[in-house]
Amino acid sequence: MSLLVLNNLEIRYGRLTAVRGVSLSIRDGDTVFITGPNGAGKSSLLRAIAGATPASAGTVEFDGYNITGRAPEDIARLGFSMVPEGRDVFGSLTIEENLMVGRGMAKKDRDWRTKAIEDLDAVYQTFPILKDRRNSQAGLLSGGQQQMLVIGRALMTNPRLIAIDEPSLGLAPNITDQVYERLIGLQAQRALTLLIVEQSATRADLVGGRMLLMRGGQIVLDGNARELGNGAAIQAAYFGYEDH
Amino acid sequence: MLQIVFDSLSLGSLYALGALGIALIFGVMRLVNFAHGDVIAFCVFALLWPSTDAMAIVFAGQLPWYLLIPLVLSVGAALSVLCEIVVFRRFRRANPATMMIASFALGFVIRYFLLMLFTSRPKSISLLPMLSQPVEIFGARLPLLQIITIIVTVLILLGLTFFLRQTRFGLEMRAAAENFSMARMLGVRANRVIMGAFALSGALAGAISLIFVSQTGTADIQMGSSIMLMAFIATVIGGLGSLSGAVLAGFALGAASVVMQVILPVDARPFRDAFVYGAVILVLLFRPQGLIAARGTQERV
Amino acid sequence: MTDTSISPFPVELTNPKKPARFALARRTIITPIFLSLLILAVATLAIMTGSRPFNQAMIDILVRVTLVVGLYIFIGNSGVLSFGHIGFTCLGAYAAAWLTINPLMKKTSLPGLPNFILQARLPYWEAAPIAAIFAGVIALILGRILMRLSGIAASIATFAVLAMINTIYSNWESVTGATSSVVGIPIVRNIWPYVGAAIIAIFIAWGHAISRSGLALRAARDEPTAAAASGVDIPKERLVAFTISGIVMGLGGAAMAHSIGVVTPDNFYLGLTFITLSMLVVGGMSSLSGAVLGVLLLSALIQGLRWLEAGVVLGETTFALPKGLQEIALGGLMIVILALRPAGLIGNREITFARFKGKA
Repeated sequence: MSLLVLNNLEIRYGRLTAVRGVSLSIRDGDTVFITGPNGAGKSSLLRAIAGATPASAGTVEFDGYNITGRAPEDIARLGFSMVPEGRDVFGSLTIEENLMVGRGMAKKDRDWRTKAIEDLDAVYQTFPILKDRRNSQAGLLSGGQQQMLVIGRALMTNPRLIAIDEPSLGLAPNITDQVYERLIGLQAQRALTLLIVEQSATRADLVGGRMLLMRGGQIVLDGNARELGNGAAIQAAYFGYEDH
Repeated sequence: MLQIVFDSLSLGSLYALGALGIALIFGVMRLVNFAHGDVIAFCVFALLWPSTDAMAIVFAGQLPWYLLIPLVLSVGAALSVLCEIVVFRRFRRANPATMMIASFALGFVIRYFLLMLFTSRPKSISLLPMLSQPVEIFGARLPLLQIITIIVTVLILLGLTFFLRQTRFGLEMRAAAENFSMARMLGVRANRVIMGAFALSGALAGAISLIFVSQTGTADIQMGSSIMLMAFIATVIGGLGSLSGAVLAGFALGAASVVMQVILPVDARPFRDAFVYGAVILVLLFRPQGLIAARGTQERV
Repeated sequence: MTDTSISPFPVELTNPKKPARFALARRTIITPIFLSLLILAVATLAIMTGSRPFNQAMIDILVRVTLVVGLYIFIGNSGVLSFGHIGFTCLGAYAAAWLTINPLMKKTSLPGLPNFILQARLPYWEAAPIAAIFAGVIALILGRILMRLSGIAASIATFAVLAMINTIYSNWESVTGATSSVVGIPIVRNIWPYVGAAIIAIFIAWGHAISRSGLALRAARDEPTAAAASGVDIPKERLVAFTISGIVMGLGGAAMAHSIGVVTPDNFYLGLTFITLSMLVVGGMSSLSGAVLGVLLLSALIQGLRWLEAGVVLGETTFALPKGLQEIALGGLMIVILALRPAGLIGNREITFARFKGKA
């Protein structure tokens, strides 16, 4: 069953078109990589789905609802959790407070607090380092720890789908490995759908799943990450050889 | 000496509460709310019958204090939320300069609305008269009102701190103040948080107007503007968007004003505020981000 | 800035050769000429009707044109909102009063003035330029401090300047008469000096806008990072604009003093700040034509509302709007325009006959 469906999505900033007519369908439980060179429109696409950037044309459906033009908080409440590029932690809040912001959408009934604590524990289990520093300010964490914090915070919303923009940005390769290891583990454990934007295709190659390649605001290649690999087709698409 | 300390604290309380009201709104929507001073004035006039007399005709002011205070606070909160819904909601995506002018215009609308009903003549009014008796503390005679002002301010600050640190809504507000779009992507409801900030800010305006009117015994349409200007300055010095910075800077300005009043030669005393403004410009020159720069609020050039 | 924006750098800046600049002057001079003709038309209208209140209303409009054009020079070109410029108007107005009031009156009402000013009694056409330069010098001094700030901090600091000037002038009994009115300023009822002041202001604004400094400042307004990277000294260019606009505001202050004959510090405070800012914003904050048109439009509206406030006879009954409604309507209108057209009615375009895009 399709969890996320894009129909001819188009995003314009003034005279500049960042995404031109992207149609796409993502099934529940899939891992999908979106790769492509700088300026291909990957981040714009993600931000538009999350409701942070208005789409100029086309529609977005999530879990059967039309979410085009809806407010970001409404989209988040449907189970679409976005982790934007650059790890937006709330720097002056503590780690635990950061995580608790993710609980904002939970109904405030009698066992609200117990449920929150359960979920906190689950996140701490996945990322023990966060538990050790739960009362320190998030702004003081290292880049890798911040990446784990924002993923943990996304988990606190109990999402169906997590969209992550450039999780490896600015991280050392071994830290990136750790982050991916957790992500894959989580996906298996929680039946999550993952939508990951990365500039390089190598990660997709290792992790597997579906891979989309964007260039010039369009999806130019769609296939199995391992099969596509680093083959000639992907290179051609990436560097635009067909233009020459 | 003790008198100076208490004068500083009670004047600082007004500035601090004002600065807090401005910083709360700036935090969640980057709006420098010039209408805040006029909301302060409105809260007092809401207690009066429209008239052009010099003596205020109080109708709601006859209420016992336990009804009067909540009434004034809710008038402030309601007006402030109304401003948000009717005006500022249209400017969410506007740049800070446009929002600033819009709030300036809104302040004018409120002020002239009051002027239309009450004329510009200041009115004498006595609210909570039992507070003007002096009391003796450590051998100094201090007005009871000053002590109550300070106590009330401290209570408000403690309450607000508790609200922001310990409640879910407070947490959301702090998160939204730091990174609004991220907070929304985590499901924090933008409208609720912004309206909450406006309501709090308006209630603070109500508190200021109660304190101010009890201190001066007059209700004046202009009364908000001098507090508002000092409150702005406090928010800028305190680092735009930093609540604790705003409060500290508010008290610092109060102390600076009182100290200048004492140390300046008699001839220069009327110019006290000019000296304070001058000092502020100098402070900004050396610390353009304010004394305590808030995270995530640095402007793009 | 993200990589998605296209730099709207003025072509003239990237290619600052002399001939290009003259071409620019030739291309854009139609704007000030047209605006001056508009001013002349307004004046001629006033003379033709020959009614004194109408003449006075037209003089008010011309004074405001001078003031709003002065605001435009700084706010429009730098993009920094200033709430302090009416302070310079205050300086100019009082300076004009000091120089033109009969020395016998000054000795009793303003005894604290220095002797050479106490003795002076200049005609208004000598006093006004001196007043303007006085305001400009103060603007230069304050600007050296203020222009290092940016954004909201700068706006609040300009507000502090306004309040500072107001506090000083409201309390310096022996020099400014404190809050009581300074009377005895020779009233000039002839409309032409005001026409002159407005046209001079328009040409100063145009000259500054096409100067290297003005172009650099607008480049910095639109693309601060790019402009700074190409060597634009933003604080310096802002200071130039601040000083020039201080001079024009001072000139406007002098004109205002002579048009009403009385000054008090509260003439030059929030009320005037609000009205002039509204006019600038309504017309289009970053356009000289917008500044002038904003004044004409809003003045017409204010005049109409005043007329209604005074009372209109409709059949048997006199219908009058309550006092204060004029400002309320003005504020409401401003909010509506800001919400619908944040860049003002004519945006950042200029009136020209030759069609070319995006001068401002």
